[in-house]
Amino acid sequence: MNDISRTPKHHNLEAGFEVERIRQDFPILGREVHGKPLVYFDSGASAQKPRVVIDAMVEVMEDQYTNVHRGAHYLSQTLTDRYEGVRETIAKFINAGSESEIVITRNTTEAINLVAATYGRTFLSKGDGVVISAMEHHANIVPWQMLRDEIGIELKVAPIDDRGVLDLDAYADLLDQNTKFVSMTHCSNVLGTIVPAKDIVGLAHDRGIPVLLDGSQAIVHGAVDVQDLDADFYVFTGHKLYGPTAIGALYGKADLLAQMPPYQGGGDMIAKVTYEKTTYAEPPYRFEAGTPPIIEAIGLGAAIDYVSAIGMDAIQTHESALLAYGTERLGEMPDIKLFGTAPHKAAIFSFIQEGIHPFDTAAALDRAGIATRVGQHCAEPLMARLGVDGTVRASLAMYNTTAEIDVMIAALERARTLFR
Amino acid sequence: MSIPAEKLAQYDEYVEALDLLDEESRFEYIIDIGKRAAKTPFPEDCMDDAHLMHGCMSKVWIIHGLVDGTHQFRGQSDAIIVKGLVSMMVGSFSGLSSDELADVTLDQIRGLNLGALTMQRQVGMMAMLKHMQKLSKRTDSAADISAAAE
Repeated sequence: MNDISRTPKHHNLEAGFEVERIRQDFPILGREVHGKPLVYFDSGASAQKPRVVIDAMVEVMEDQYTNVHRGAHYLSQTLTDRYEGVRETIAKFINAGSESEIVITRNTTEAINLVAATYGRTFLSKGDGVVISAMEHHANIVPWQMLRDEIGIELKVAPIDDRGVLDLDAYADLLDQNTKFVSMTHCSNVLGTIVPAKDIVGLAHDRGIPVLLDGSQAIVHGAVDVQDLDADFYVFTGHKLYGPTAIGALYGKADLLAQMPPYQGGGDMIAKVTYEKTTYAEPPYRFEAGTPPIIEAIGLGAAIDYVSAIGMDAIQTHESALLAYGTERLGEMPDIKLFGTAPHKAAIFSFIQEGIHPFDTAAALDRAGIATRVGQHCAEPLMARLGVDGTVRASLAMYNTTAEIDVMIAALERARTLFR
Repeated sequence: MSIPAEKLAQYDEYVEALDLLDEESRFEYIIDIGKRAAKTPFPEDCMDDAHLMHGCMSKVWIIHGLVDGTHQFRGQSDAIIVKGLVSMMVGSFSGLSSDELADVTLDQIRGLNLGALTMQRQVGMMAMLKHMQKLSKRTDSAADISAAAE
């Protein structure tokens, strides 16, 4: 089982959100870039790792490492227990009904591809509609396009308004008799918009249509309860949740997973193999061919224990304060055009500085030690909708501060002088 | 074969100037080159897909022509920093013969010492060199520079 004895419960917030103490848990936040203190505003791409995650992964490799699920020896049995404990941790974190509804994947991309390839090929056929939104990451566009090209489904795109708010009426109109599946972001990686997920699921369920929610961004910024959302599938990745790369999860309702064929064939996903016939394991193992990402799973377990000890609601409250402050400060700058002003959004700022190419703005921020992302953010169709070639994106996390936002504002003022 | 020193005079000037500067000043130096380049007209009809260098975060257009047996290049970008970088590249390596251009090495790009600014820019410069070497082998692009000069 997971050892959470080192998880810093002192951060729990009866005395308020202790961001400076949280920052101490992230070794990288103490470093400098270009001679300036690192301001890490690229957590939407990948978040930094707290010491407990790093230590958990090192500890496994130094003291407990072996393969899981098959060894007839002490190390294998204890590590299998610990690995399966992570499945329980994930299940509790998103309030799944059972740990058997949690499939360990490499990331969100793999999870969506898994659903498209297994559920999609089994239950969708030519002419069936799949609804996505106008603010999807490529990971929730391309797998469905591949399925479209393979079996002839139709991709339907629910529009957004200029603030980045999903048009719920237009979405409902797309749920016609041909629509058989909805796959939608829970929180836009570019605009920060948090969609009304319960309404999206409810409207689809009224018509008997299952829903997948892409929680890559949403799961980082607030508590997620898949049973309350009534999502049929919920997917997320570990590395944005302060865990390691190459680990993610697919939640699927038990009855759906049970009806889906395997994704990949190999070891670990079978019940019995002969040359004539193979019987597949029950979910979730049916979808986990080959040796799993053991060390990464332990790291993700440690990350979930860490954020759970701090509390997702407390993290959300802190990030909301950052969002409000950043929106106000950027709003004071006449040359900043902010994209994504939905009333319900995460602390993600996508913007351009008028008259300055986003690449130049980001380079000036980099010189000030500020890590942002520039370009299309794996969301080219959304950029076309916004009418820009790209934006600068500052995506904040629980370890960021209002003082760091001030550093960014000063760097943007300097960029204005540098490039004009 | 080696490239005659006089043909790399502009390159050497950049190397020496950058060598004297600290990192922050190098950054500003490149921006200055980019701003100066912005004042030099670049044919708008060449800012099209045919002249676009793919794979950059900002748009980069490079045009090429043969003048008295030497390769001439001009470059443009929509970002100031990249405009500075592409100006340095076309300024450094215009006027070379085909063999000389093929002889420009990645070490010479590293010699500009831009890696400290960010690796991505150095990688981008290497991509520009390869793109220029590719353009020099095309016979159909020779008209570009003369058209640009009109």
